[in-house]
Amino acid sequence: MADVKQYVKKSKLWKSIFRHDFSDTPRTRLQRVFGNVFLHLHPVRVPKDALRVVYTWGMGGLSFYMFLVLTVTGILLMFYYRPTTIHAYQDIKDLAYAVTLGGLLRNMHRWAAHLMVVVVILHMVRVFLTGAYKPPREYNWVVGVLLLVMTLFLSYTGYLLPWDQLALWAVTVGAQMAASSPIVGNEGPFRLPFITPANDARFGLIGGTVIGDATLIRFYVLHCIAVPFIFCVFLCVHLWRVRKDAFSRQTGEKVDVWPHLVSREFLAALLSTIVLFVWSMAMQAPLEGIANLNVTPNPSKAPWYFVGLQELLVYFDPWIAGVALPTIIIVGLMAIPYVDVNPKGVGRYPTMDRRGALWVPTERPFAVSVFMLGVVMWFALIFIGYYCRGPNWEWYWPWEAWSHRRVTKLTLKNLPNLWGGLLLLGYFLQGIPIPKLVKDRLAARGGPGAPARFSAALHLGLGVVMAAAIFVPLIWAPDPDYPENSKYTMLFQSLGHAPNAPVASGLYHLVERLGPGVGYTVIAGLIAAVGLLLGWIGVGFARFKDRLYEEVGLVKYSLVMGLFLCMMGVLGKIVLRLLFGIKYLISFPGVSFNI
Amino acid sequence: MKRLLFLLSTAALAGLFVLAMWQDLSREWAGYQRQFFRSLAKDERRGLSGGIKQLIVSELHRVDRCTTCHLAIDKPQLALAEEPFTAHPGDYLAWHPPEKFGCTVCHDGQGLATEVQAAHGDVKHWERPLLRGRLVQASCLKCHGDLERIRDHVPALRQGIALYKQHGCAGCHAVHGVGQTVSIDLSDMGDKPWQLLDFTFVEGHHNFSQWVYEHFKEPRRVTPGFRAHELPPGEEEIYPTFMPHYGLSDDEAWALTVYMLGLTGESLPAKYVLPSPPAAPQPTYASSIEAGRAVFERLGCVACHGTEGRGGRRNLNAVLWQEAPPLVLVKAYYEQDREGLKELIRAGRQPVPRLDPSRPVPPLYMPAWKERLTEEELDHLVDYLFSLADAWPAAPQPVSAAADDTEGVRPLKNDGLN
Repeated sequence: MADVKQYVKKSKLWKSIFRHDFSDTPRTRLQRVFGNVFLHLHPVRVPKDALRVVYTWGMGGLSFYMFLVLTVTGILLMFYYRPTTIHAYQDIKDLAYAVTLGGLLRNMHRWAAHLMVVVVILHMVRVFLTGAYKPPREYNWVVGVLLLVMTLFLSYTGYLLPWDQLALWAVTVGAQMAASSPIVGNEGPFRLPFITPANDARFGLIGGTVIGDATLIRFYVLHCIAVPFIFCVFLCVHLWRVRKDAFSRQTGEKVDVWPHLVSREFLAALLSTIVLFVWSMAMQAPLEGIANLNVTPNPSKAPWYFVGLQELLVYFDPWIAGVALPTIIIVGLMAIPYVDVNPKGVGRYPTMDRRGALWVPTERPFAVSVFMLGVVMWFALIFIGYYCRGPNWEWYWPWEAWSHRRVTKLTLKNLPNLWGGLLLLGYFLQGIPIPKLVKDRLAARGGPGAPARFSAALHLGLGVVMAAAIFVPLIWAPDPDYPENSKYTMLFQSLGHAPNAPVASGLYHLVERLGPGVGYTVIAGLIAAVGLLLGWIGVGFARFKDRLYEEVGLVKYSLVMGLFLCMMGVLGKIVLRLLFGIKYLISFPGVSFNI
Repeated sequence: MKRLLFLLSTAALAGLFVLAMWQDLSREWAGYQRQFFRSLAKDERRGLSGGIKQLIVSELHRVDRCTTCHLAIDKPQLALAEEPFTAHPGDYLAWHPPEKFGCTVCHDGQGLATEVQAAHGDVKHWERPLLRGRLVQASCLKCHGDLERIRDHVPALRQGIALYKQHGCAGCHAVHGVGQTVSIDLSDMGDKPWQLLDFTFVEGHHNFSQWVYEHFKEPRRVTPGFRAHELPPGEEEIYPTFMPHYGLSDDEAWALTVYMLGLTGESLPAKYVLPSPPAAPQPTYASSIEAGRAVFERLGCVACHGTEGRGGRRNLNAVLWQEAPPLVLVKAYYEQDREGLKELIRAGRQPVPRLDPSRPVPPLYMPAWKERLTEEELDHLVDYLFSLADAWPAAPQPVSAAADDTEGVRPLKNDGLN
């Protein structure tokens, strides 16, 4: 018996399958990783810190695993699916009703796709918080952002394939955004003269002027072949760079990948498969009625990860919400490692310090606060768009029942372009630093206190200009809609009677109650107070700004400050819309340029 | 610890897979099939097999899996008394062989589904639920051009069509090009997507046939419009539907619903469609008044002007008591101005003058009829209209059957003439 065993184990066949023995020695551990093409992605030894779950949360690995799950389930689904408008919907029904485990398969693919989007975003947040994008890992961060974009695009292209109402109209929302791109979109600003509905960006995306068979085959190929292929290329680069750039946290000893890392990875995959399995058995992937171009559901919502952008459509022109802002977000994300020259905070989560009333990150106060604000805004907008918007995109609390009979009339007015321009100018000028050169010259002329005085005067002045640019036209400008649509001749009157401009109507009633003399005096005081508040915020940031400018130089500074101001500007615009009933600051409807 | 976790989760995953497989193998239809086969004797079982059954009717673009559970539908010798193992009643399957027609082309429902609720279409996002009871007669209209030949099988459908004519629906609605365009075209009413309907005021089950039924019973309850106070300040009120309330009985309303469901735009292959009967010869009338009455009925004037022209159909904010004018007054107004009346009929009156100029225009209006009438017919029609005053008030008739619908409707009294 023992002889037979020895004979078998010495045979070439056995050795070519089991290339090493099973004793737990450093040599076999090493051989296992070396001798296996899949495990070979790993180094032989990794820092012990890389294994700490509470550091990485395994997000990168889980993203990769989700991609594998999606590939496998996706390939299986391809056996049952025909991308034509007459077959697609029926094939999805067949999966649910006739194919063995077909429903489970589709559910797993659907839920894994959603999970992958979430995990990829969380992975990015983790990498940011632990400073793992800092040199030498800048390049890999950029690759990561590209992978995020591709993940979203993969998910979006897959959304159409079931060919139901949900799919059709979610994709329509996205396609409309393409139509409103500047320059190359038929409905966007600065449209080139030869751009028509039959050759614009939307046409390129959906392969026609209406969504149909051509769109389905286009999205199918993109979803199943083209994007996954490019994704794989970038994924290889990403994983290869992870090895080359070394792990971001290395404080102590190294351990063998086999068994320490491999067993953890396997366990993570196993557990996430269980989660996915239970999820897919408990919850059916949505499937609505067959796609019908003649019936638009009200509301039509984009896939959840784009609903934040759709919600921004309330506040901005489509080309800003759907094209400009996403581009700025992507470019801004990619720029982070190149403009963030602060070397601190690599390999650990930020700690928080208490400064006055605020909790502030200790080592990277600006970077961490701004990034997290951005992430929170992104998800807050998604939450609002997904749970708080009902028919006609009206506001409904999540616990409220939708009613198609509710009609709210919003009174929204544009600021006169000059005033709106002044507001924007004042806002963006708040971002300029005072270079050391200027400070020195000021100090030479007016004594050591002069630069601080100058900075305070500048910022407070800009603050008052901004406040005036909001309030003055609100109160003294004529209503441009008069006389056709409005029964009031002044902006102050129309917005004062509007139910959706609380500040404007509050002031209007104040003037009515106190009489014009007292009322306008109070308003003037208010303008001064708001102006000084805005200016004071500017003053508070002044020292930080000047230091940042000296540290990073003009180009990086303008990029950082520009992106930061854009982000805060989005918030500011939302506030202006919700509190003042202001629709646009600058409006040139002739060229679809409205901000 | 880790080893234990590994073992446990592997076992859990394997267990889940077995559970999923078991769920898949023990789906609803499998239980029905077991139940059916158990009821059969051994020799009866010969030649029968289990699994999902489907009728693939490629000409009608249908795949119907109904026979997965309705196993004895075409085998009366094996049928049981209880559903789903009954045989199809009547000789319908002999006339419509299942392999050529499938099931859903007549019965609707979701042929692809293999779960009871989903297959019968009683689920969200399936807009063609099973046509139950008399509703199934609607499907006959898809192919049968000559309903007289199958008259015993489609009583509700025929009643619906008769009511459609009797109430003059063609005065406002068109079906396949026949009728006026005052209101929506009904040619593919049966395909109307639910998402376009407002179910807020539908009391019964929220599906299409119920909506149509309740709309026939009480149009202004189902589509009440918006009063000014329900809308943001400054918005003009939206009137309730101008579909008149005809005081239909339940049976009548269902019969009309059957007709509406039968009006689909579904284009079936020509070989399925049976031709309509040849047009009946032009009848001859004893008098000009009789000929005028035929024109009056053909055009559907009765829909708005009421039986015998007695009025009573509400038209909000219209002059003359907010209703479509009763035609018993025609003689008094136009006896000296016959040409004026003819011109009014030819050109119509649109919009109808408003009673209160601050409210929106009345929703009903008199359409132009000149395309649909010959001059000779117009003369007959005018003769008939003048004769109405003579008949009044000899044959009094209740104007509105429903008590809850009298708001805004002026009860027609004799003194209306003066």
